[in-house]
Formats: sequence, structure tokens, C-alpha cells
Amino acid sequence: MRRTVTLVVVLAIVLVAAASVPAQAPNRLIVQSQTEPPGLDMTATPATATSGVIFYNVQEALVKVDRHGKLVPWLAERWHTADNRNYTFFLKKGVRFHNGRELKAADVKYAFERAMNPETKHPYAKDYEAIGDIIVKDDYTVTFALKSVNASFLQNVARSGSVIYPREAVETMKSAPIGTGPFRFEEWVRGDRIVLVRNPDYYVKGLPKLERVTYRFITDPNAVLAALKAGDVDVSLFGLGPEHVQDVQKDPRFQVLVGDTTNDVILAMNNSRKPYSDVRVRRALTHGINKQDVLKGAMFGMGKILGTNVDPLNPYYVDMSNAMPYDPAKAKKLLAEAGYPNGFDTVLKVSPQYYYTVRSGEIITDNLKKIGVNVKIEQIEWGQWLSRVFREADYDLTIIGHAEAWDIKNYANPKYYFRYDSPKFQELFTKSEATVDDKARRDLYVQMQKLMVEDAPVVWLFMHPRLAVAKKGVQGLWKDLPVSAADLSEVSWAPAK
Amino acid sequence: MRRYAARRVGALVVTLFFVSALVFVVVRVLPGDPAAIIMGTEGSREAADRLREAMGLNRPLVVQYVDWVSGALRGDLGRSLQYDLPVGQLIASRLSVTVPLALMAAVFMIAAAVPLGLYAATRHRRAGDYIAMVVSQVGISIPQFWAGLLLILVFSVTLGWVQSGGFEGWSSGVAAALRSLVLPAIALGLFQAAVLVRATRSAVLDVLREDYVRTARAKGLSERRVVGRHTLRNALIPIVTVAGVQLGQLLAGAIILESVFALPGLGRLALGAISARDLPVVQGVGLFIASTIVAINFAVDLAYGLLDPRIRYE
Repeated sequence: MRRTVTLVVVLAIVLVAAASVPAQAPNRLIVQSQTEPPGLDMTATPATATSGVIFYNVQEALVKVDRHGKLVPWLAERWHTADNRNYTFFLKKGVRFHNGRELKAADVKYAFERAMNPETKHPYAKDYEAIGDIIVKDDYTVTFALKSVNASFLQNVARSGSVIYPREAVETMKSAPIGTGPFRFEEWVRGDRIVLVRNPDYYVKGLPKLERVTYRFITDPNAVLAALKAGDVDVSLFGLGPEHVQDVQKDPRFQVLVGDTTNDVILAMNNSRKPYSDVRVRRALTHGINKQDVLKGAMFGMGKILGTNVDPLNPYYVDMSNAMPYDPAKAKKLLAEAGYPNGFDTVLKVSPQYYYTVRSGEIITDNLKKIGVNVKIEQIEWGQWLSRVFREADYDLTIIGHAEAWDIKNYANPKYYFRYDSPKFQELFTKSEATVDDKARRDLYVQMQKLMVEDAPVVWLFMHPRLAVAKKGVQGLWKDLPVSAADLSEVSWAPAK
Repeated sequence: MRRYAARRVGALVVTLFFVSALVFVVVRVLPGDPAAIIMGTEGSREAADRLREAMGLNRPLVVQYVDWVSGALRGDLGRSLQYDLPVGQLIASRLSVTVPLALMAAVFMIAAAVPLGLYAATRHRRAGDYIAMVVSQVGISIPQFWAGLLLILVFSVTLGWVQSGGFEGWSSGVAAALRSLVLPAIALGLFQAAVLVRATRSAVLDVLREDYVRTARAKGLSERRVVGRHTLRNALIPIVTVAGVQLGQLLAGAIILESVFALPGLGRLALGAISARDLPVVQGVGLFIASTIVAINFAVDLAYGLLDPRIRYE
């Protein structure tokens, strides 16, 4: 027994002697990331876990969505179009890939032709359908000839799937991507971390400010909190819920960023199924849900209430959050008109993969009970949700966040899992895609938003806020997220006082 | 002995065949399509369909199974869909975390449980026994993730002795690597230690009632010799049985703690692969864990003979 005690004491002393938390050098940043990317090739996966690390930091596109949501020059120093069908991009000179080779117009042609080729299984191949021809005029000038006017063209050129990479590195993009960005990819220790290091040849002088960025994959929110408080992590970009953020807000060592995103959390209704094929029922549900309650209960009041799919970061956003206010009496009346005076039973399928879905579902269930709609919540695993709900539309109700910007096109697709089929809406959308004039396009967007409110194909609940936590002293992080990326090029540590 | 070993190896092969078929079928019967998961809610349906075809998932199940098994026999478990690495290499790299973790947990488990169980048995129905039993009851009742979080709270957040999680790798030094495994190993071993305390206590109690123990005492041997030499050795058979089963559980059961401590171990690899429907990885890990547990049981059976010369394998 005595020997065991001695052993334990010796072990403890050795441990204490060996233990010392390494101090962070001021030009290094450790970022917590909730999900490990399913591969690092943005031309093969649309996962935000991938773009959150690689987009903006390692690989770049011709056009950039900046921190205010505006389209600005990037690898192209400018672009020009006279007829909205032929876009000529003038590339910046002296931009080098991380392998040392200069980026030329032929690389742009190669990247887009590869994206358009169905053989390469690009996740957004559809977005490039409008492109007819890509003509290289000289090493720094490339023209895209579109088959027809396409108002989303520049948006699509700014997407994560439109990054420019060297053709000689295509085979290794999935595990070791090469680009032109401010950081070079250094290593990916599967299951633990991804390390990026400063690109000394970056074409913007003075950027990036950090020498080294380490993304560590920590899924469990409690573990994230512990890592922050123990000083093992400097920034948490995703992964902390509102309840944790409240805890950190009281701690003077941290700053909390609460901003806007393009992530719209919705209660989707299967428009092809009874009773949701009746617009009166869909409106009844919209009036029957107290979105304030949902926001308070699921998000501790953080986020913004939505009225349509168009989020506050979109330049054509119209505030419709009060267009269909909470009104249970009206909801009951609508249900009676639709032939359901006593309400009905329905099933809500949610995936606990996203914490807000189950929480919102519980509040909605309670709300809808008051208008006679009995909701049974069925929790299913994410893979099943994708197969059964998203692909097969085998559901009555579901809750999910749609993070993609400019995703109004989904409502013009009758095969999308909402099964919303409105020729009028589809016509407006098609027109908006062919309208380049800003005022005219805005007008079409306003009409679409009004029609969405009227048709109530889904219940738009709230915009999921950006909730990021950083140590005091970390500066330059984006507050709002108009794009699924985490631009770290301008991030730095404030000089110590 | 040799015939016994040959028989056991034969049984092992049959077990592995069934396990491989079971793992393969279960993974594929699960609803959820890897291509759909990779494409998520943002990629188009057409892109997912093309990807599915390219991954070879549209081929008949039997063809896929034969393909996999024949590869596995050649030592090729396929390539991970999400990590773009050979499955064998992935498992090997994860073992460098999980095996030391399980071993450290096992050392902790045995070092804590056997002396405590022995102590409790020799103080039967006295204060020491009751205290030991309460301690073990508490150990059994505390969920692993909770124990892990408490340890992090005390030793990382408050005292700052060790990091809160993550694994730098063995390349950054043995001391650093072991340090990052200490807390998870304790949290992992705690529950198993609590179980083993009870098993040890009852095994020792049984032996203490034997005639030869009374004889040993009558011979005037010291209590230490009676317990250490005559009792413990005879009580080891049930203890080793329980500990063997527990070792398998430590290896396979680290999933939760690997998440809490953000360790790149085998459990987290399996968990991530299941939710991503990374089929080659799920199959490979399933097969690996099953073979390991079968092998541990085999080793335990052989250990009986060493502990008790009366046991013969015929």
C-alpha cells in the first residue's frame, strides 16, 4: 500500500514538472472549428467546414464578396461588360500560386472549364451553365461569353467553387490545396488540426498579419468553452450556442461578436402533401407561430426575425418580418376555412445535428397546439434527414437553416424539397436572372418577397446570428458573414499595452 | 495446447468473416447516402448522383462486398471518402492515440482497483470496506463525459497544469504526448476501475473463505503473505476475466472521451465516419475493433493457464 502511495506521489510530481501551458506567440492564432472538413477541395464539396478554412485564406476567386457583402475586385483588378453578356476580366499582374508559378488567364479558363465539365462532379456545375465560351485574350485578360444575360453571373464567379488554382495541383487539392491566398496550406493532421502559414509572396503588401493559423477541431461545446478558458484556443468561430456565449460575455478576457449571416432558419412545409398543399393552412401555421418566442427560446433572443427568404445582408432585403404577425385567432379561422376547424395531427422531422432545430421545434409545437395542430417531433440523424427529407421530400414539417447566400432560386425549383410550385414565382425569378439593371432587379426582388409572404411556402423563422468568441486583443475579424468563409488575412493581435 | 490454439484461430477466422459481413451489411442498410452527405443542402441533386456513381455505390452489394473482402485480405481496406487517405493508414495513425490512451487507462484501472478491492475485502464489513464501496459506487455513477469535464475544469482551467484537449502528436515529444493523455486516461479508467474494485473485492472474499487460507493462517504466516501470496493469486482468474473484457471496452469505448478531449483517436474516427457515411472507414474500423476484441479474449484464455497450472487446454 505504502509503495502505491509513493508511486502516485512521484507520478504527480513528474506530471506537474512536465506541465506548462505553452504561451501563444502574438503572431499566431489558434482557431476552434466545430466540424472537420470532408476534404479540402472546394470544387468537390460545398461543405462550409471546407470553405471556412480554405476560401479567402488559401484560395481566391476573380471577384470577392467583401465584409459588407459588396462585390469587389480580387484576382481580377477590374472587369468590364458592355452588353451584360460578355464579361472581360483584367487579372492582377504578378500574382503567384503557392508553388511559385504566376497566375495567368489560361488558369482561369482551365478552372471554369473544369467546373462546367460534368465529369469532374463540381457541386455547383449548374451555376456555370450560362457560360458559353471562355476566351483568353492575353495572359492577363479573359472574356466570358454568356449564352444569355445572367444577373447572378458575378455572384457565381465570387463563389467558393469558382476559385482559381494551378492545373498541376488538381490531383492533390483534396488533401493539400494550392492557391494564391494570403496563407499557404501547411498540414492537415486528420482528426486534430489544419495548419496554415503566412504566404510571404502575397500580392497585397502588409497582408496577412499573422504568421501561422491553426484550426483545431473541437466538436463538444463544453470542450470548446474549456479550451477557451484554459487559453488553448484564441478564437471560436462556430460551435458555441447562445447559452455559452452569454457565459463568455461576462468574462473580461473575451470579446463576443454577434453579427448577421445569410443563414435563414425555416420551418419547411411539404407543399405537395395535404394539408400543406392548401395555402390557407400554410398561412395559418405562419400566423400560429410566435417567432419572438422561438427566437427567445432557441437563441436567447440573438438573431433577427425573418419574413421571407431574403436576409438582411442582401441588398434587396425588404423587412417583411411583421407582414404575417402572430395571430392565433386568425390562424384558427384560416384552418376552419380550409376544412380543419378542429386542427390536425402532423409530424415534425428534425435532426439534432443542429441544436436550434430541436429547440425551435419544441416551442413551435407548443404554439401550434393552441390552434389545434398537434405536432409530433421525430428526431432523425443528419444522414437520414438528407436522404428522407431533403432528397425524397418524405416529410410534413421540418426545421433547418439554409446558409447559402442568394438562395432564392430554391423557391423557383418545384423539385426542391419544399415542393413549392408557383409558375408566377418561377416567372419572376427567371426574369430577375435576366435583369441586370439594379433598379429593375430590385423591383423584381420586392415582388418576389411579397409573393413569398402571400404564398407562405415555408415559415421563415429567424436569421441565425454569427456568434464568435475571441480573446481580447484579437482584431480584424469580420462581424457579419455575408459569405460562408472566415477571412483571416487582416486579423492580428493588438499590441500589448 | 497447440490443438487448442489452432481451434481458437479457426474460430477467430469464422468470427471475423461474420463480423465483416455484418459490418458491411449494417453500414449499407443504414439510411443515408454518402454522396448526399458530401453535397449537403447546397450541392445539386445531379452532382450527388454523379458522385454516387463515381464512388462505385451503384454497383450490386455482392460485388462491392467481394471487392472489399478481397482487398482486405491483401491488406487494403480501401480509401477514406472524406480524408482521401488509405483506411489502413488512418487506423494506424489513430491507434497511436487510442492504444496508449487505453493502456494508460488500463494501468490506472488496475493500479487503483486491485489494491482498493483487496483492501475492501480484507476489511470486510468494516469502515474501510464501506468507504471503498461508496467510492466505487460513485465511480460507477459518474458518466465518463462528466468526469472528463470535471478533470478539465480542475486541472486545465483552474490549475493550468495540462492542456484542455487536443493531441500534438508523438513527434512533439513523449512527455508532451503523455501529458495530453493523462486526463482522458483517468476519466476513461475511472468507471472501469470502479467496476473492477467490486469484482476484485468479491473474488478475494470468496478465496478468503477457503480452507487453505485458514491453513495458511494456522501455519502462522503473516497476513500480508496470506493475502498477497495465497489469496490474490487464486482470486486472479475472475479478476483477469473481468479486466480482459474491460480492456476491450476501453479500446472501443473511448469515443465519448475522445470528443470531450478533442483527441484524434479511433473512436472519434469511427463516430465521424458514421455520420459522414464514410463507408470504407466505418467498415475498416468495425473489422479492426472486432478482431482486437477477439484477440484480447484469446489472450485472456491463454493467461488462465499461466495463472492456474491446473487449467489445461484440451
